[in-house]
Amino acid sequence: MLELIDLRRRFDDVVALDGVSFEVPEGRIVGFVGRNGSGKTTTMRIALGVLHADAGTVMWRSRPVDAVTRRRFGYMPEERGLYPKMRVREQLVYLARLRGTPKGVARSRATELLEVLEVVGDPNDRMETLSLGNQQRVQLAAALVHEPDVLVLDEPFSGLDPVGVDVLADVLRGQARDRGVPVVFSSHQLELVERLCDEVVLIDRGRIVARGSIDELRAMRARNLWRIEVPAATDGWWEVVPGVSLTERVDGAVVLELNDGADPQRILDLARAEGDVAAFGPVRPSLAELFREVVAE
Amino acid sequence: MSPEPTDRGTWRLVARRDFWVRLRERSFLISTLINIAVISILVLARASSAVASGPSFDLGSVGPGTVAEGAAALGAQVGVRVDVRSFPDVTTAMAALRDGSVDAVVTPTQLVGQSGVDETLQRLVEASARNAAVTAILDEHDVSQQERDRANDATPLPVAVVQPTPPHRNENAAVAFVGVLLLYGQLFGYGIWVASGVIEEKASRVVEMLLSAIRPKQLLLGKIVGIGTLGLAQLIVISSFAIGLAFATNAIDVSSSAFGAAGLVIGWFILGFAFYATLFAAAGSLVTRMEELQNVIVPINLTILVSFFISIGALQDPNGRLQVIASILPTSSALAMPVRIVLGAAPAWQIAVSLAALVGSTFLLVPLAARLYAGAVLRTRGRVRIREAWRSAE
Repeated sequence: MLELIDLRRRFDDVVALDGVSFEVPEGRIVGFVGRNGSGKTTTMRIALGVLHADAGTVMWRSRPVDAVTRRRFGYMPEERGLYPKMRVREQLVYLARLRGTPKGVARSRATELLEVLEVVGDPNDRMETLSLGNQQRVQLAAALVHEPDVLVLDEPFSGLDPVGVDVLADVLRGQARDRGVPVVFSSHQLELVERLCDEVVLIDRGRIVARGSIDELRAMRARNLWRIEVPAATDGWWEVVPGVSLTERVDGAVVLELNDGADPQRILDLARAEGDVAAFGPVRPSLAELFREVVAE
Repeated sequence: MSPEPTDRGTWRLVARRDFWVRLRERSFLISTLINIAVISILVLARASSAVASGPSFDLGSVGPGTVAEGAAALGAQVGVRVDVRSFPDVTTAMAALRDGSVDAVVTPTQLVGQSGVDETLQRLVEASARNAAVTAILDEHDVSQQERDRANDATPLPVAVVQPTPPHRNENAAVAFVGVLLLYGQLFGYGIWVASGVIEEKASRVVEMLLSAIRPKQLLLGKIVGIGTLGLAQLIVISSFAIGLAFATNAIDVSSSAFGAAGLVIGWFILGFAFYATLFAAAGSLVTRMEELQNVIVPINLTILVSFFISIGALQDPNGRLQVIASILPTSSALAMPVRIVLGAAPAWQIAVSLAALVGSTFLLVPLAARLYAGAVLRTRGRVRIREAWRSAE
């Protein structure tokens, strides 16, 4: 398990991290979500030792992380960049060797990754001759080439086309499932996070504001909303049931919030009495909606 | 696949990459060729002036040839080469004089020139003629060999000098000049390469990947060692070439201090490079774009340039106060001290102090520069102030 414990960091007068704590269990994929400037990159940089924390610790398998254990981490920084003039495979081999992978292993692993990630072009091409999408894939290969024990990826999906997104999602799932790697990545593509992650950590202004599986977040956060469409109904038909209030009207349907133990079946019966029910069901808030709600508090 | 237990040797990988990448760059080849061209010109210029400094003459001789041979023997003693050519008669000798194949002709009665006789040659011939005349008179009076030897062995006045010039002074100065020129070029050129290498990694953002894998100190050390080794290799190639060419063209003679000087230049390059490159690396980490490089390295450039001029001054005056101080201060000693050593002007204690100061200050400088580097190298937006860099690496 990768544990971040009470990380704090200031930049001059700005508090970037104000006690950030969360865990990434082995074999799990954790989505790290927050607005721009909320502290995601700072947290990840500290986890990788690129930046020092003013206080707090990073633990891996119950021991504080040092420069030697960090060599087994895989990292994709938000600010992408590799040597522009260096050949693609040579570059991957170099980065793997910096992290202690023997030359031969690094070489075959690099070749394999370039195939798996569908990088178009020759492994001996110079980095700068590749398209941006391909450079992005090589950058991901650089995070994976030394077969890391932990993966920390800052916005890995940004800049990828839909095919690239699928390839990357498969790779991350594979790393977590087959190798038991804890994976944490940040993203603004919340539907992707929802689809891919076992758990989500929400950060806002340097503090963790919510964490857990999507269902847990929903249970914790979501209001009891039901969407009902009865084209023939008279307006305000639901008002006879106590604890029911209108939250919004969408495309001829109404979204009702049920409180104080109001029974959805009772609402359905009422609706039927009004006419044909075209649609009826609970509204499951998306991660984006949950996120907005949490951040708005 | 198990990782190595420590990361202590990682800087070697960095060094190896920096060495090979730059070795393959065209600018390396160009700088090597330029260096070799400049050295060749300097050596050849010296070689031709060395030949010209000993004048030589072709002297025709008609008759017994005693006077001409004597002039050649005297000439050899004072570094003037006189080649004697015998002619059977005056007519053929005059023909040779007219077509320029001899500079002058000695007959039993006179010394003949075409339009005039070179003063040096004339003096040699006159002295030789006088010797011949004296010998003839001594022969006439049957002076014994013993007495003649006594006359010849009359001890000349012993020579004393107030400030002796060390042997090979002139050659040593030439060697020192070439040495300091090379040192200046290498320290400056490869120092800039270190700074631009740092900026290159910052500008391409690859530095964050690197620092997630290795420590800043290792990255800094690897870069300095890698580029320094390339500079050293180039220096060895160039100095071997220079020495080989100098011997081949007789620009310097084998007994001179060229080998020692080459060794000194190489040794001081290593020390001086470690010192300056650390500064260059720290300076490079403060900026993000190549165009800004000039701004931050001005103080270092000036230091090296001033040291260079002081060292050139030391060729004339190796014991001037400025030169002595410059050869001891670590900011300039890498250039000034080797000159004074080659010229034989630096006493052992000064060399020792200078070495200790340079090595010691480099050891102090490395952790300071590494901290600045670590604090500044991730700030990829604009120029970083030294204080900011210092504080952010806490």
